[in-house]
Amino acid sequence: MRIMRLIPLMLLLLAAVRPTAADDSVNPDADFKAFRDYYTKRFPNVPLNDFVNGPYSMDADLRKQWQAIDDFPPYDFAVSRGKDMFATPFKNGKTYGDCFPDKGIGVRQNYPYFDDKTGQVITLELALNQCRQANGEEPYSYVKDEMASLTAYMAFTSRGKPFDIKIPNDPRALAAYQNGEKYFYTRRGQLNFSCASCHVQNPGNHIRTEVLAPALGILAAMPIYRSEWNGMGTISRRFVTCNSQVRGVPLQPQDEDYRDVEYFLSYMSNGLPISGPGARP
Amino acid sequence: MNMLIAATGFVLATLTTAHAASTQADFDAAFAAAQAAEKDAGGLKNQWTTTEQTLTAAKKAAGAGDFDIAVAQAKQAEALAKASIAQAREQDTAWKAGVIR
Amino acid sequence: MQGQRNGARRVLPTGAVLAAALLVALPVLAQTPVMLGQTLAFDRAKGNCLTCHDIKGGDAPGNVGPPLSDMKSRFPDRNELAAIIFDETRRNPLSVMPPFGRNLILTHEEIESVVDFLYTR
Repeated sequence: MRIMRLIPLMLLLLAAVRPTAADDSVNPDADFKAFRDYYTKRFPNVPLNDFVNGPYSMDADLRKQWQAIDDFPPYDFAVSRGKDMFATPFKNGKTYGDCFPDKGIGVRQNYPYFDDKTGQVITLELALNQCRQANGEEPYSYVKDEMASLTAYMAFTSRGKPFDIKIPNDPRALAAYQNGEKYFYTRRGQLNFSCASCHVQNPGNHIRTEVLAPALGILAAMPIYRSEWNGMGTISRRFVTCNSQVRGVPLQPQDEDYRDVEYFLSYMSNGLPISGPGARP
Repeated sequence: MNMLIAATGFVLATLTTAHAASTQADFDAAFAAAQAAEKDAGGLKNQWTTTEQTLTAAKKAAGAGDFDIAVAQAKQAEALAKASIAQAREQDTAWKAGVIR
Repeated sequence: MQGQRNGARRVLPTGAVLAAALLVALPVLAQTPVMLGQTLAFDRAKGNCLTCHDIKGGDAPGNVGPPLSDMKSRFPDRNELAAIIFDETRRNPLSVMPPFGRNLILTHEEIESVVDFLYTR
């Protein structure tokens, strides 16, 4: 899509628009502790690191079904494909590794990060497309298989590494964090749900037959192979579909609000291990 | 009993408002109002899929010359858009109520 | 006759609209309120109640909300039940129940039908 070519330029323009001051009362550390305590108190029998397994940490039957497919995980093909793509040079001879620290291996747990040059949150998906465009390649769709394969491979190289999201002492970073927090708790769509409606108020409960995942650790398993989708889904795809499921018109993938909520959720999950790519019902 | 009263009221309302059928001009006005409200909802980044679907249905009915239905759909779309605006405005502060502290 | 236009366009004659209205409005000619209420309650595009509530007659219910049983004795005032369906956030600001009336998911008439149906559960 043409608009995706404009995203890096748009980010530079948006840098001037982002509010430079966060609410004085915003305290990510306090939020982090309260968030973690909420889930460990509500689910005292779930080991802390198990929250990254989403619904499987909530429901024993579902876990058994998951373990049964673990010998031949459905995301395997995405990881192989991602590995090949990652190693294939661009037309100009450079590779993805040239864009990332440590050649892009074992770095997924550091994303998203706040970029002080542009004043924007940079997610892994955005960084991959920025890498492509910087090297003369067309960006990939954020919701389709190429992006899912690349992020599946990068997540795989980071398996077990704890989330290590930083909020620098920069009012713009605090504002991004707070915007993400606001997005997470804001009701939207005709059905009037916030992300919190399901993932804070009802983890472990089910809607029809689907078990709701806790928000703690919820992005650690991304991207996921989702049986319901018969395929892989990136973080962008998940945000877009969650919006439309509550009858809200989705934002453009990698919209500032989506990047900010990914920043917020990832920070809340600091210390929890990357478990991606994952498999879900 | 309530159902019968509501039903009678509905029929009476239809009878008393059974003046000339809606026109293209009526639709154009109703649709423009609905689109304007939906644009405002877009400015608040809070449009509903239902509103979009209703706008599409209104346009389709108008295209088929079913202006009574088209106008009713356009008015419904405007009501939906306004409800989504009200939601966004309320939530601008109300979101804090659910935050884990 | 009212509603006649030039042949190029088809317009619903007012009479047909009235006839349709009568058909919908008079229960004796269409579904009973209880039948209509059940259809609305179980329809994913309408009440979609089974997503969160266990209701006799429905399959694979969710458990986000309480089971809906003994409704007539638990809610003897039908207006209270209708108000909950219309907008439960008025009673409980943190409720996750969609405001079916306020957000125009169900009309007042549809909510009344759902109440009629729930009174049989």
